[in-house]
Amino acid sequence: MAVYKRRYNAYTGSLTPPWSRFFVLTRYAFADLFKSRFFVLLLVLSLVPTLLFASYIFIANNKTAQLLMQLRTAGLFSVETQYFVIIMMVQTQAAFLLNCWVGPVLIAGDLTNGALPLFLSRPFSRADYVLGKFAVLGILLSAVTWVPCLLLFSLQAGLAKGGWMWTHLWMIVPIVLCSAIWILMLSLLSLAVSAWVKLRIVATGVIFITFLVPAGLGEMFNAIMGTYWGRLLNFSEMFRLILAKGFRERSGPLGSMDWNEIPVPAAWGMLILVCFVSLVILNARLRARETVRG
Amino acid sequence: MIGRMMNPTIELNGLEVQLGGRTILHGLTGVLKSRAIGLLGPNGAGKSTLINTLLGFHSPSKGSARVLGLDSHTSGKALRSLVGYMPENDAFISKMSGVRFVRYMAEISGLPSNQAMERAHEAFVYVGLGEARYRPLGTYSLGMKQLAKFAQAIAHGPKVLVLDEPTNGMDPPARKRLIELIREIREASDICLLLSSHLLRDVEETCDEVLILRNGQIASICNLVEERRANRKFLELETIGAEATFTSTLEGLGCECAVFSNGRIKVVMPDSIEIREVFKAAADKGVQIRRMNHRRDSLEDIFLNAMEQAGAQNGRI
Repeated sequence: MAVYKRRYNAYTGSLTPPWSRFFVLTRYAFADLFKSRFFVLLLVLSLVPTLLFASYIFIANNKTAQLLMQLRTAGLFSVETQYFVIIMMVQTQAAFLLNCWVGPVLIAGDLTNGALPLFLSRPFSRADYVLGKFAVLGILLSAVTWVPCLLLFSLQAGLAKGGWMWTHLWMIVPIVLCSAIWILMLSLLSLAVSAWVKLRIVATGVIFITFLVPAGLGEMFNAIMGTYWGRLLNFSEMFRLILAKGFRERSGPLGSMDWNEIPVPAAWGMLILVCFVSLVILNARLRARETVRG
Repeated sequence: MIGRMMNPTIELNGLEVQLGGRTILHGLTGVLKSRAIGLLGPNGAGKSTLINTLLGFHSPSKGSARVLGLDSHTSGKALRSLVGYMPENDAFISKMSGVRFVRYMAEISGLPSNQAMERAHEAFVYVGLGEARYRPLGTYSLGMKQLAKFAQAIAHGPKVLVLDEPTNGMDPPARKRLIELIREIREASDICLLLSSHLLRDVEETCDEVLILRNGQIASICNLVEERRANRKFLELETIGAEATFTSTLEGLGCECAVFSNGRIKVVMPDSIEIREVFKAAADKGVQIRRMNHRRDSLEDIFLNAMEQAGAQNGRI
C-alpha cells in the first residue's frame, strides 16, 4: 500500500508481542494528558510537597544548615515514623485530586463515539483494555505516592547515621502496601465512573460523591443504630485506619484510632469490595456489542 | 491462503444467538466458500448480530460459527487477529487526528509504532483522505468518517475484511469510490470480504456469494458467480425481418427460442454459443436487430424471491 503506488498490499512485517499491546493505550493516554497544561500544572503541584519534605530531611540531617538558619531547638527536626505518615497523607490526597482530573476521561472518550468495538474487534480483550487504562492511573498515582515516599526514605536513610535505615526498614512495607490499595481503589473507581458518566465535570463530581455520600450514610446508620460499623462506608477513614495500623501509629496526624472498633481486616475488606464493585461495573459497561435492532 | 483453500470462509452450524432473552438468530446452518460474501436482509433480519457473533462479541446459545476454520467463540482472539472491522455506527475518537487514530488502531493490532505510522499514512492516502489526515476526526463529514473507518480496517493488512453497511451516509461519487476500493482490495490480495448491506447494488458489485437473512433465519444462500453464468445467455430481442428463418437458424445452433408479437424473440443460449453468432445469423438472414436486452436475474430478483419464499414458508407454518 505504498503511497506512491496507491494500491493495497497486505502487511507482512513483524508484530509486537500480544502481552505488550495494552501499553499502547497507556502510551497514547499519556501523550494526550501531557498536551493539557492544567494536567502538567497539577502534576507539578502534586510533587511540590515532596521537594519540601526532602528539604526538611536535608535540614534535619545537616547541623550546619540548622546553624546557618539559627534553628537550634533540640528535637525540632525529627524524621521518624510520624513524619512518613504525614508524607503519605499529603501524597495520597494529591493522588486523589490527580485521579479526579485524569480518571474520568480515560474511558468516556472511547465510549462517547462508540470506539470500543474497534478495540475489541482486534486481538485485544476487555481485560487488556482495562489494564491499559488502569496502567495510566497506576503509573501516575505511583509517581506521586510510594515512589517519592521511597525516595524520601532513601534520602533519610542516606543522610541519617546510627543505623536509622535498619531500624526503619519495616516502613517500606506499609508505604508500598497502603499506596497500592489506595491507588487500586481510586483507579478502578474512577475507571468505573468514567465508563458510566461521559461528562468530565459530572464524573469528577460522582467520584467526590462516592466518598462523601456513603460516609454520611454510615454516620447516620451509626447514630440511629448506636453502632460504629457504619464507619466502614467512610473509605477515607478506612484507608487512614490501614495506614495507622501499617505504621503502628495510634495517634498523631491520623487522629485517634481505636483499633478495637473497626478491625483492620474489615477496613481492607471494604476497600477491596469497592475495587470489586468497580470491576463489576466495568464488566457491565465495557461491551463491544452494538445495537441489536428489531 | 492455505487456510482459506482448506476451510470455507464462513461455516454456520445450527447457530443460535439469544440476546436479552430473545432469540435473534435461529439455528443458522450453511457453508459459504467464496472470497467475497454479501450479507443481505431487511432491517432487523440479524445481519449485525451475525457479524457481531462472527467477531466473538456475542456467544452462541447453540451451535457454532467458524470463519476460515476458526471458531468464533473458542478461538475468538486468533480469529480477530485476522480481521479488519468497519462497524456500521460511528466509531472513532473525536479529538484525535485521522492519521493518529488509524495509527493507534494499527498499533493495537500489533504493528510496531513506526510501521503503524507508515501504514496509517498509506491507508489515508489510499482511501482518498490524504489532505484531511491531520484534522480531528470530530470535524469530518459523515462520508469522511466512513472512509476513516475503512482506513483503520485495512491499515493493519487483515486477512478478513468485515464491512457493516460501509456506504451509509455517502454521496454517490464517494460511494462509487469506496466500492471501487473494496473491489480493488479484493482483487489485489487474497483477502476475504464479508459485507453487510441493505443496498443490493453494493453487494452485487463487490460480492461473489450472498447470504440472505430474514427474521434471523437464512432465506437463501446464493452464489452470484454461478447465477451470473447461468443467466448470461438469456437474451430479449426486438427484430424486423424474417423471424421464422432467423429463429430456425438459432435453434439449429442449439438455442431455445420463443417468438412473440411485433418481432420480439426470447433466446436462451447454450454455453457454447457466443452473442456474436446471433448477430452473424441475423446478418445472414437479413434480420435487423433493433434492440437487444442482455437480461439476467438481478440480485434484486433473487432477493425478492428469497423474501417471498421465506414469507410463504412462514405463512404456512
